[in-house]
Amino acid sequence: MSTVATAETTYSRHRESSWGESGLALATDQTENLETALLACAKGDRQGLRLIFDLEGGRLVAVAQRILRRRELAEEVVQEAFIRIWTHAHQFAPGRGSARGWIYAVVRNRALNMLRDGKREDLVSDEQLETLRDAEQMDEIMSAWHRLDRDSRLRKCLGGLEEVRRRGILMAYVGGFTHGEIAGKLKIPLGTAKSWIRRGLTSLRECMA
Amino acid sequence: MTIARDDFAAVADEYVLGLLDEADAAKVETQIEHDTALAEAVATARERYLPLDTGIEPVSITPSLWNAIEARLTDRQPPSIAEVSPRRPAAGNDNGGSGWRAAAISAMAASLILAGGLIWSVTRTVEPLVVAVLVNEAGEVQAVVEDFGNDTANIRLLTDFAVPADKTMQVWTLPSREMGPMSLGLLQESHSAKLSGSTLPRPQDTQLYEITLEQAGGSPTGRPTGPILAKGFAKLAR
Repeated sequence: MSTVATAETTYSRHRESSWGESGLALATDQTENLETALLACAKGDRQGLRLIFDLEGGRLVAVAQRILRRRELAEEVVQEAFIRIWTHAHQFAPGRGSARGWIYAVVRNRALNMLRDGKREDLVSDEQLETLRDAEQMDEIMSAWHRLDRDSRLRKCLGGLEEVRRRGILMAYVGGFTHGEIAGKLKIPLGTAKSWIRRGLTSLRECMA
Repeated sequence: MTIARDDFAAVADEYVLGLLDEADAAKVETQIEHDTALAEAVATARERYLPLDTGIEPVSITPSLWNAIEARLTDRQPPSIAEVSPRRPAAGNDNGGSGWRAAAISAMAASLILAGGLIWSVTRTVEPLVVAVLVNEAGEVQAVVEDFGNDTANIRLLTDFAVPADKTMQVWTLPSREMGPMSLGLLQESHSAKLSGSTLPRPQDTQLYEITLEQAGGSPTGRPTGPILAKGFAKLAR
């Protein structure tokens, strides 16, 4: 008689226009929570998306803002990302990376797309202001490394890199800079920037393996 | 040209850092769909750098952000053409663009059919009060219901349903929660039909319509008991 339940459930839940039956169990662990939430999204349960928003929303906006530097653009990105999380949750494969990593990747990707579409360039008109903002952003980028757990492997391995390589890697990941922008900021030739970063990434992989 | 296995780790790192140019990023995203080893390399790289993001100080967010997100969920139409063909391909983990595209196309098809239904409805003398586009679980448009609010409703099937000999398709609506689901009638054969005879309250905007598969002769309980073939919400014909 399970079909009865299915049809009746649908009627009782019709306002949520959801196909799946609900029942989002609250796990205690956050990682588990996010995975459960993502799987709930895949079933069409909005509570899942809401949970992701409640758990990570503030950080996701902050991550997007660190890349785009403007709050309203960051919020736009997070909005788009949540729609994408909702429509693509079924593509998350548990066991291949964490739900958290998947969710952050969606936001990062949207933010980078918007950045590369040139929105960030539009925002500064005053050159002095730009210099100031640049300095602020560089501080923010480096602080992402300082904020890592004292015992974290990533923190130690980044610390083991030559400064310029560490800086290049952090500028790319944290600030969303391209090879060209990194070369410009560090005042080194493009080819040099590329090969330093590449070597830095290799050392980091070896260090963390 | 595929990415060589020896380069997976290096390419995955640069992909996750956002350092690949458009063409190379697209290559990763295409290959990742069928290449588990590359997908795993990307997942590993992602986890490696993730703490740089998760350690960030969260900003305080207002409920309006959630409201904006939720408003766009209700109305899951493609937000823009740009989303259908992104300039830069999407992230590795959600690279199955075809699924999205299918959803977008069916959503657009639904809008078109709805629009078509509305146009058609306003050019006729007898007008339905509401039109509902019914979709299946995959979001594909299956049927359109026009409820005239007197005692007739038109069901136009837009796909071929395989109905076993001992089964029949039954059309339902939910005038109100108190009233519960009410039968609009049976589809004797798997094609479009005009149903009449049921006297129900005037159909409302966002009223639910549904087709289920029931035993021949219709549901024995007067409530839907079988699997849902398609469902959708009504829109007032304007």
